[in-house]
Amino acid sequence: MANIGKITQVIGSTFDAEFDAANMPPIYNAVTAEIDAGGNKRRLVGEISKHLGGGRVRCVALGSTEGLRRGADCTDTGAPVSVPVGDETLGRVFNMLGEPVDGRGDVGAKEVRSIHRQAPAVSELSTSTELFETGIKVVDLLTPFVRGGKAGLFGGAGLGKTVILTELIARIASQHGGYSVFAGVGERTREGTDLWLEMQETEIGTTGRKVIEQTAMVFGQMNEPPGARLRVALSALTMAEYFRDSTGADTLLFVDNIFRFSQAGSEVSALLGRMPSAVGYQPTLATEMGALQERIASTTKGAITSVQAVYVPADDPTDPAPATAFGQLDAFLYLERSISEKGIYPAVDPLASSSRILDPAYVGDHHYAVARKVQTTLQRYRELQDIIAILGVDELSEQDKLVVHRARRIERFLSQPFFVAEVFTGKKGEFTSLADTIRSFEELCDGKWDHLPEDAFMYVGSIEQAEEQAKQMAAKAK
Amino acid sequence: MANARALDKRRKSIRNIKKITRTMELIATARFKKAMDRATSANDYTKRITAVVSDLARAGLEVSHPLLEAPEKTENATLLVLTGNRGLCGGYNGNALRMGVKTREQLTGEVADLRLEVSGKRGISGMKFRDINVDESFTNFDDQPQYAEVELIADRYLREYAAGNLHRLDVTYTKFHTVARQEIVNETLLPLGKLEGADTPVDEEVAKGDVSLYEFVPSAESILEEVVPSSFKIKLFKCFLDAAVSEQVARMVAMKSATENANDMIKMLSRTYNRARQSQITGEIMEVIGGVEALEG
Repeated sequence: MANIGKITQVIGSTFDAEFDAANMPPIYNAVTAEIDAGGNKRRLVGEISKHLGGGRVRCVALGSTEGLRRGADCTDTGAPVSVPVGDETLGRVFNMLGEPVDGRGDVGAKEVRSIHRQAPAVSELSTSTELFETGIKVVDLLTPFVRGGKAGLFGGAGLGKTVILTELIARIASQHGGYSVFAGVGERTREGTDLWLEMQETEIGTTGRKVIEQTAMVFGQMNEPPGARLRVALSALTMAEYFRDSTGADTLLFVDNIFRFSQAGSEVSALLGRMPSAVGYQPTLATEMGALQERIASTTKGAITSVQAVYVPADDPTDPAPATAFGQLDAFLYLERSISEKGIYPAVDPLASSSRILDPAYVGDHHYAVARKVQTTLQRYRELQDIIAILGVDELSEQDKLVVHRARRIERFLSQPFFVAEVFTGKKGEFTSLADTIRSFEELCDGKWDHLPEDAFMYVGSIEQAEEQAKQMAAKAK
Repeated sequence: MANARALDKRRKSIRNIKKITRTMELIATARFKKAMDRATSANDYTKRITAVVSDLARAGLEVSHPLLEAPEKTENATLLVLTGNRGLCGGYNGNALRMGVKTREQLTGEVADLRLEVSGKRGISGMKFRDINVDESFTNFDDQPQYAEVELIADRYLREYAAGNLHRLDVTYTKFHTVARQEIVNETLLPLGKLEGADTPVDEEVAKGDVSLYEFVPSAESILEEVVPSSFKIKLFKCFLDAAVSEQVARMVAMKSATENANDMIKMLSRTYNRARQSQITGEIMEVIGGVEALEG
């Protein structure tokens, strides 16, 4: 006999329901209600997040509450929201409830799992410190990604977070043997479609198989109510966890954009009756973020390597939402507006970005020394910027002039043509090996390439290509 | 948006820089006027010498002197580069130094032995940074070069030249045309080549000695002996004077634009600071109100 209650109140994207006080469904259970809006029937799923007492529960709606009315029936499903997991999910596109939305019919998965799970125990965690080569110079040199670790792309609006994420998918997923899971959290639906189409075209290495065949995608985009955006990351994560635990394969998890998760939480927080905390965010901001991030972990059974985009509201990294995400990550790239304004992409701020494994013990003394040298040069340049703005370059000491000269070249050399941005740059994407990257920057810092014009360093791979570009520029000038 | 306190701190430091540049601008303006007067009076002196030379020429005297003739061989040359002792004058030192280095490279290709002499601390340290050996350096010339001090240097060159140890002297300095225009030039001072006024046509009547404007005592030749070296000295002195005036002009212009830049920056920072401060206050009020609302609801 199903446990049926009545809807007693609808407040925006939350609603209250009353059940038999002796038979109340527990927190996180999914409840369903039938909505009949003008002959258009659909099923609304809600998630219980608060017990109000006297058999009343407050639920977060995971779909639109339009057409929902008081007194309607509300059925307890007896379990939290569960999504299909397993090989059947590969190549498919889901919504947050685990329903396929790619119009290819039933998934037919043998197993479904609850989206609420415990994070792996401390004893099961593996701490890998192996470098994950991306072929992007600025990433490999200054913010090396960790295999089985988490990397974040922080940036304000329109700095290219999604482009970098797509680029990483193109670079990593196309050479990656394991599975990939993509979570679209509160971003543009169009971007999700673009990505889906692109994955259908891109092949994995030379196997002749498409990337999409090894990928599961879950979307809860901007148009969805906050409840869906709040839980979609968990749905995707649950699928990724299955691959990690059951197959032991290296799994990639891409999330775009984790900030929307916090944002959705703050949208429902006040409706759930929580007192707003700093900057109007939910008081449970850190708890929510922690619960999600702790599950994205590599265990002794398998590894999840995750790349997450994090929107930074108003370019203010001290905003609580991005600040909470900061601490969870092994490597973070901070995208800076002033750099993108110079036309340098990826607009990674080489001084604000960092990585846990940028340490001589992990990357080696040579790599570390070169990376630090690059950062010192750029740091000095930044310190001098005010003086240059007021007094001009001529007032600097000879030593500082040289620093400025090299820093401007390094700054430009950190740009790189992307595979996914070929239409914008008109240049083919470049994969620069780590050895080439380190050597190029070392020679640049040592002044071997001081004679090349600044523009020669824009959008090239290794330093030899900069030399080549300088020759071309000289030939064109004639 | 950066935090308000950091912005305020930055604004304060720029205000301090502005104070310095503004003061330097005023000092440079005062010094420039003085230096300018000295340069103008030196011009009068040069004019007189030219007049004397043309008088000599008009009297039919063959103007010839060892300092005017190019020596048979040019093996030993000297390059004198004039820079300032102080910075904060825009591109003045940098430009002179760059030209000096360029000239030095050229001359090294032409002559066997090149001596490099540099005046001004900035030039000396610049050469040192480039690992270029400086044979002689002077730091005693500021905004008012003294004739006596320049004469010492000039006398040394004349002695060397007369002894045949020096065949060519080049000076790289900033020539002063007008307040708006200064030019980095390289001039060859030895051999002198030609004296100004020396090509005045010989006046037949004067030459015959019938109608003489002047009587040359003891003789025209002995006067020429005196005029040629002092012509060289005054030319060298003029280089120093021009360099000094140019330095002050450059400083004046550079400091003026620096003060303007600082003003712009302060304005911009103030705007950002006010906005940051205001949004901080708004945020705090919102939080308090939100908290109260939540407690009541």
